[in-house]
Amino acid sequence: MRDPINLSHTAALILQTIDQGCSYGFDIMDATGLPSGTVYPALRRMETDALISSQWESEKKAAAEQRPARKYYRVTRIGSEVLERSQKRYPLLGRLQATKSRR
Amino acid sequence: MLPEPKRPFSLRCCAVMISIAARFVPARQRHDWKQEWLAEIWHRWQFLFHAGEWNRGEAVRLIRNCLGAFPDAVWHLTSQDKIQDGVRERLRSPWTCLAALGALLMMLGIASSGFPATRTLFASLGNRASGRLVFIWLHPSAGGGDQGLPSDLAPAWRRQSRLLDSVSGFFTGHQLVRSAATKPARLLVITTESTLFETLQVRPALGSLAARDGVVLTNSAWRSLFHDGRAVIGSAIRIGGESYRVTGVLPASFRFLTRQPAIYLMRPFIAAYPATSVMVVARVKPGVSSDRLDRELTKIAEDATYYFFKSELRYASLNSAIWTPARVFGIALFVSGLFVIAGCKVRLRRLRLAFRSSNRQASIRRASFFAGKAALVLVLIFVAGLEWSRPESAIVFGSQDPANGPFLMWLYILASMGALTWSLADQRARCRVCLRLLCFPVRIGCPGCLLLDWSGTELLCTEGHGVLHVPDLAPSWDEESDRWISLDESWQELFAHGR
Repeated sequence: MRDPINLSHTAALILQTIDQGCSYGFDIMDATGLPSGTVYPALRRMETDALISSQWESEKKAAAEQRPARKYYRVTRIGSEVLERSQKRYPLLGRLQATKSRR
Repeated sequence: MLPEPKRPFSLRCCAVMISIAARFVPARQRHDWKQEWLAEIWHRWQFLFHAGEWNRGEAVRLIRNCLGAFPDAVWHLTSQDKIQDGVRERLRSPWTCLAALGALLMMLGIASSGFPATRTLFASLGNRASGRLVFIWLHPSAGGGDQGLPSDLAPAWRRQSRLLDSVSGFFTGHQLVRSAATKPARLLVITTESTLFETLQVRPALGSLAARDGVVLTNSAWRSLFHDGRAVIGSAIRIGGESYRVTGVLPASFRFLTRQPAIYLMRPFIAAYPATSVMVVARVKPGVSSDRLDRELTKIAEDATYYFFKSELRYASLNSAIWTPARVFGIALFVSGLFVIAGCKVRLRRLRLAFRSSNRQASIRRASFFAGKAALVLVLIFVAGLEWSRPESAIVFGSQDPANGPFLMWLYILASMGALTWSLADQRARCRVCLRLLCFPVRIGCPGCLLLDWSGTELLCTEGHGVLHVPDLAPSWDEESDRWISLDESWQELFAHGR
């Protein structure tokens, strides 16, 4: 049986930010104030642990708008459960709201 | 759709950085990884440009954010199973163990600014002259601590002894010292006569050491009180409320009593302090035995009406005082060695059998690794203890020196026992052939059901050299409680697949 995942405060903050609608790496950096060297490896780890999943946007849509396609992140069901546990573990986390992203 | 403006230089820099970082990402993930980063910076730049917020500061910020591509790429690299297995394999290697101990020794060297106390210890080996320097003090015949000598004995010995080249008395104390350039500080003040430096055969770095009245500074005291000022000679210095003139500065290599900043207060006649007992340092003529010296000095003392009924004179050469920590460590090592051999059930018969067996070469390799590892740990402990204790110590009497005292003895005993126990435990947890740490522990059997069964843990060598059985309970009649089972060639194929 797999051990329950206990996130660090930083990882929980990133997970919560994705849950609140920031779905790109740079948006998460803006919302959390964390550097890219922290955010991206954390995203990779959480994706490996199936807390988040990523999806490329449609190539067709991006090509039509003459821009490169982006990769979206969203929280999975397991991720939601872990986030809920983390919010109990870090009570102040639940009060934080993601700041308006810059896209 | 908005028209795309010309790509700025910072964006091209970011693209180059991402291309370089992408080299670390495994080939099968590289394209996606690079696309994600390039898309992110492109969108960021586009958004800021069309919002009218793109400026030099944002360009720098974008480049700074792109630096995160490197840790991200390294994460991809290190998260590969192949790399992680490689790292684990390296950590199990015997060379890693030796390298880690070597690195610890290097760190200690850096922290202590190049092992000054250890270097002093070994420098004394080549200095024959320091072997003729002896400390003289009184030691009670029964009980009690070491004592100083009456202050007028040193002048009597100087006048009448035919076995001493020179002799000087001194006494120490901490006093408030103040120079014009610094705030008052409590420093070690050694009150002595000008003959002390003649006895120690030291030359000044600045000024003169022959003045009968004045103050001589150690190099560290000169640096802290006068900030290396060359015009220190003749400067005024206040010691305990009285003013004195600085007459000389000692060289940086000079070591006597302590490595802490110290001040030598030169007095014309130290015997003018009748109530004070002094310590004595003397330079003995070549070839004089300790018995002859004792007879002569005792006779001179008796002529001066000093009879040591309840105590006797003690002598210690400077070299032997410096080498005392090494002797303390030797004793501690011997004691802890006995404890470890008894406590860890080291079977000497098994060791002899191992060396006589057909696989003698492997036994020699194992013994060499154990000796190298244990030697490195013990050197680390000895040097750490010496470097820690020496700066605070004064090499005068055995009982006053933290580097020679019981505390260091206990520290050395406990640390040596720990080091030897760890070395043995580490050795037992390694493969008997390749010396890698064993892994994949598997619990076997049921604890308590020992009548016809066995319970314990099995550990495996990743190279397939063998399996170690470690029982939960080792019966006292079983000399070989840990059993090593060698695996023959037929197993190699299985482990080759695992690799």
